[in-house]
Amino acid sequence: MKILIIEDEKELVGTIKKFLESEGFLCETACTYNEAEDSLSVFSYDIIILDLTLPGGDGLDLINLIKERNRQAGLLIVSAKNSLDDKIKGLDMGADDYITKPFHLAELNSRIKSLVRRRHFDGTNELVFNEIRVNIDSGEVFINDSMIDLTRKEYEILLYLIVNKNKVITREAIAEHVWGDNISYSDNFDFIYSHIKNLRKKIEQKSGKDYLNNIYGIGYKFSEK
Amino acid sequence: MKLLAKTNRTYLLISAIAFIIAGLVIYFVLSFIFEDQLNEQLKSDIKGIKQSIEKDGKLPSYFPFIEVREVKGEERSFISIDTIIYYNSQKEIIPFRQISRVVSINGKTYFIAARDPLLGSVFVLLLVSLYFINRKLSINIWRPFYKTLDELKEFSHDKPGFRLSSVSNMDEFMELNKTLDKLTRKVITDYQALKRFTEDASHEIQTPLAVIQSKLETMLQYPDLKQEQAELINSAYTYSLRISKLTQTLLLLTKIANDQFPEKRAVYLSDLLIEKIEFFEDHIIGKSLILKKNIEPECYIDTNFFLADSLIINLMGNAVKHSMSNGLFNISLNRNYLEISNSGKPFSFPPEKLFDRFYKTDKSSDSPGLGLAIVKEICLLNKWEISYKYEDDLHKFIVTF
Repeated sequence: MKILIIEDEKELVGTIKKFLESEGFLCETACTYNEAEDSLSVFSYDIIILDLTLPGGDGLDLINLIKERNRQAGLLIVSAKNSLDDKIKGLDMGADDYITKPFHLAELNSRIKSLVRRRHFDGTNELVFNEIRVNIDSGEVFINDSMIDLTRKEYEILLYLIVNKNKVITREAIAEHVWGDNISYSDNFDFIYSHIKNLRKKIEQKSGKDYLNNIYGIGYKFSEK
Repeated sequence: MKLLAKTNRTYLLISAIAFIIAGLVIYFVLSFIFEDQLNEQLKSDIKGIKQSIEKDGKLPSYFPFIEVREVKGEERSFISIDTIIYYNSQKEIIPFRQISRVVSINGKTYFIAARDPLLGSVFVLLLVSLYFINRKLSINIWRPFYKTLDELKEFSHDKPGFRLSSVSNMDEFMELNKTLDKLTRKVITDYQALKRFTEDASHEIQTPLAVIQSKLETMLQYPDLKQEQAELINSAYTYSLRISKLTQTLLLLTKIANDQFPEKRAVYLSDLLIEKIEFFEDHIIGKSLILKKNIEPECYIDTNFFLADSLIINLMGNAVKHSMSNGLFNISLNRNYLEISNSGKPFSFPPEKLFDRFYKTDKSSDSPGLGLAIVKEICLLNKWEISYKYEDDLHKFIVTF
């Protein structure tokens, strides 16, 4: 799975690259408009992450080039402008998703995985982690092949954690993923805690293992102990 | 006070005083001459009447100017008095000068009175006409000024093409227009620069923050972190999130104030409210709030979707956050207004402060206190009215469309 990261901030590119590589992606980077143009005209990618504010040209212009040369690629737009105009324009021009800077790495990962799933639809759209199976189309979750009944938020949290498995996910990242950034994060910490508690209970009832590890009291990690 | 009224008033006052002084002098001189003449005239009238009676014995009568009647008594010389008489043909009471005498003609005694009206209202008439002449003149002179004023009323800091068009050949007005023109252009350029600065600053802050946050998140992934280290990283992480949220909110406020949300469509508030109630489900259950909703279905309003969404999230978030456990949480909506209320103790501060930027009721809260400022800006932009009142132990926020 090959990803092209087009982003002018070198420090950020480095961190994103490392994070995505640890998720098993193959990453290439481009830091200017011209570099991006060169990479796009020579290679083909599965996913392209595009920062709209680039030195040497407007990021929106690159969308046309991507649609010409890399029609199959999933396109995720990143922008520091939390501006609806850019978002609408970008999505109209054929971008698949939009994320605003600054973002949680876990959120970026979740968006990319979702894009990958949409692109490579091979019969069943499922996520599997040992005895846990999540059917993303139907929103059903199975433990050892027996279905468990989850609320929408429990489902969202579980999916988010499984997508970011083996990573420490902060409570803030979970809060923003589930409730958006409209209300202050700390108000939601108690709710996250109770949703996780319920999740644990429901999984254990079907004799699933507890993979929901509380880490340092600051977040969660979905992993085998 | 209007300039025109002021000049008129001053002008009238000074003229009135001058008129009174000059008038008094002229009045006494003139009235002396006039009355003397009038008396002479009336006396000669009486003489004429007397001769005419002596000649043919008929008694002439032209009321109220001439009155002749037979009386008993002795002859009496001229008596001059001022009197008022109800004048039938004009249906009003008019002051008259009357000269009368009692004379004997052919053995009979007659009372003969000759009268002439006295004119005192000339003075008032003069003042009134002067007032109107002056007013008309002033309006003409001040016209360019009012035109400039009207144009200035249309001025808004976000109209880059604004120019004052009015031309006058009067130096003062030309000077005024030139200065105002310079001033408005300066306001516009300064405003644009400030706008660009706020946006650029916010963007420029977001990128370093994104770097900091991603580095801190990466650090948290190290498997052998000590609890203490993790807490330090998390603390830095939490605060960097707060800065980024703060700058994003400020940017949003600036954008609302600049009317940078032009896209409008019919937004179904009824559906949006139902959706948000689900969104706040955890908070409502967590605090055991008693939710009462009175939402008229199919209520829509022509506005920007993002702003309507923001308004509702902020009002409802505010209500669930500040309401007491087991308290009431009411939402009502119809075509005219949206009311969101929650139980709570009355405020110890003036309620209009609620909508101020960075005003926090709870100083230790990690929210910057911008939610209601956003609500206010959105209402202002859409020309809706936002009001707050405390009634039946409820904090009520009402948006009138």
